[in-house]
Amino acid sequence: MKRDVNDAAVLLATLRAAVDSHHSPDPATRQALAELDDPAALRTAGRILADLRPEDGELRPVRMAVLATFTVGPFVHLLRAALVGAGALPSIDVGCYGAFEVSLATHEYAAGGDPDVVVCLLADSYFASADWRPTDIPALLAHLDAQATRLRDLILSSAECTTATLVVHTVPLPAELRDSVVAWRDRAAVAAGWHRMNAAILELAAAHPQVAVVDLVSLLADAPAAARDDRLHRYADLPYTDQTLALLAQQVRRVAQAPLGLSRRVLALDLDNTLWGGVVGEVGAEGVQLGGLYPGNCYTHLQRTAARLRDQGIVLVLASKNDADLVDRALAGNPEMVLRAEAFSARAVNWSPKAGNLRQMAATLGLSTGSFVFLDDSPFECGHVRAELPEVAVVCAPGDPAHLTRSLLRHGWFDTLDLTDADRHRPELYRARSLRVEHSAGYASTPDFLHTLAIEVSAAPVTGYTVPRVAQLAARTNQFNLTGVRFDTPTTATMADSAHHMVAAFSVVDRFGDEGIVGAVWVDVAPPVWRIRNAVLSCRVLGRGIEFAIVEWVARQARVAGASRLAARFVPTDRNGAADGFLDKAGFAVGADGWAELDLADYSDNLPTWIKLREEQQ
Amino acid sequence: MTDSAAVRATVLEILSDVLAEPVDALREAPVLGAHHWDSITSLEALVQLEDRLGVTLDLRTYHDARDVDDLADLVLAARRTNPAPARL
Repeated sequence: MKRDVNDAAVLLATLRAAVDSHHSPDPATRQALAELDDPAALRTAGRILADLRPEDGELRPVRMAVLATFTVGPFVHLLRAALVGAGALPSIDVGCYGAFEVSLATHEYAAGGDPDVVVCLLADSYFASADWRPTDIPALLAHLDAQATRLRDLILSSAECTTATLVVHTVPLPAELRDSVVAWRDRAAVAAGWHRMNAAILELAAAHPQVAVVDLVSLLADAPAAARDDRLHRYADLPYTDQTLALLAQQVRRVAQAPLGLSRRVLALDLDNTLWGGVVGEVGAEGVQLGGLYPGNCYTHLQRTAARLRDQGIVLVLASKNDADLVDRALAGNPEMVLRAEAFSARAVNWSPKAGNLRQMAATLGLSTGSFVFLDDSPFECGHVRAELPEVAVVCAPGDPAHLTRSLLRHGWFDTLDLTDADRHRPELYRARSLRVEHSAGYASTPDFLHTLAIEVSAAPVTGYTVPRVAQLAARTNQFNLTGVRFDTPTTATMADSAHHMVAAFSVVDRFGDEGIVGAVWVDVAPPVWRIRNAVLSCRVLGRGIEFAIVEWVARQARVAGASRLAARFVPTDRNGAADGFLDKAGFAVGADGWAELDLADYSDNLPTWIKLREEQQ
Repeated sequence: MTDSAAVRATVLEILSDVLAEPVDALREAPVLGAHHWDSITSLEALVQLEDRLGVTLDLRTYHDARDVDDLADLVLAARRTNPAPARL
């Protein structure tokens, strides 16, 4: 939906005020920025935000480099606006004009070392030579293939020499090239060759884990604007309109948000006129619109989409003002229902305000409300949740239900670079957590309860299979994050392969199920001292003493390797209070330079009695 | 406000935004070259002027414009030739 200029003016004024006061834009402003479609306003927002120097640490720093085969133009401003909208604080370096290949070949993307993301912007002129001849189509096609191969070699060799994620994109076939060919058969051959070139670009994603590919061509099929303004192209070597560059900026934001821990994990769904048509309290469980023809098929499609999100690890919860019995009857009895009761990890079906219900479900699941997306057709409910919980991404979808699915998906709140096993099992894990919370209510003391859980912690050095999950934990864990350092996939993999480091993953099983990998530790191995660079533990398992099992395992490994001391430190962030004081409780004594140390010679077993630790020696 | 005055005010507003200069500063020093009027900012202004004022400008005459009034005159001439809805 296009915001009118007055809304944009208010938004821009709010951004200016945030910049002037050295504060991060508040969550509501960030969401408005993330949903802004007007490229002119986005460009202005990005220019304003170039001076953003917040002192509150609320935004996640991210270092970006932009390389282009053409004039970058407004892209940097658009990218900055998109990233701040998602909760990031970007610093952006731009490669020299005309130095695209040199920058890639020399791996010099940014001042001050490797960035987190290198954006590679491509234009048709990189692939098609200016002097191609319509009488020799095979030569044109061979040139396209050769340039695609050249790009592939450059990107893959760069990826080997950097820890950054490289983002590339497909390129639309320019009308002037297509229509310069007058023979329809030849024109089809040119288009086929162009599609092969784009397919080669798309295949880069499978060729290297640090490469992400945006399919700009398919995005443009949905975009209401032209890809190119010939005047800007001829005058300034700007092959894309601001609208197209804004689309690309949004996609780069979606690539960058997951490693920064800014993607959402929970989808809270309304029922009446959202998951089904009509009000169940009025029409009964049999009367809701679902399946068949329009409009019932819109709701079925949304349910199928939500089920697909669930298959990919998005936790579904219900937030509906309704009678619970009636909803249970509809979920269980309606033959067209795709999402049955067991699809939801938590349910708040009552007459209480939805904001409070979302807060309560977040507490039950052990997740922050900042990881929630809330979908509702009611502007009133959406407004209320926005006001009470500005950190929740609210998707308001009133009116024609045909737009429901697109409204839910268009901003990419759930995007991730790769799915892990933990992602796929997350909905079951959180459902088990809800059951665990119910179970705990029957015990007088915490240790009594914990003993009944039969907790087993397994520890092992990371492997190629577990590195992505461990890096994901580093990105997403805020509460028990000992130093706030977020080791990404390439760095974690490098450390895991090094004799001077150790990275270990910790998984937990209890009577309610397998939690999967929930903890990780990154250690510098330099006898006589092993130094913990960071330890993270998912908020899902906080309060069970798992962190003591992590230290216990690392201490045992260090002692076996001949170390005499284990060092660690707590570095406060704005959200890691859960880890404050832990080192003291784990027996570490204050040492030098802010590091606390555990004397391994005097160290005795500190494993909680309710935990069984399964050890795997290095 | 007449249409002409509204257009001139919108042109000033857009240039103020693109050039990051207060409107009063542009009124005092209306020559575009006195500000950050380069290939990128001039094209950003072009896109905004066309979008907000519902016109299509010829890039050749656009780049001949020397000051704020010249640009406003160009826009007004284009609106006379091909009137279209504007967001003034």
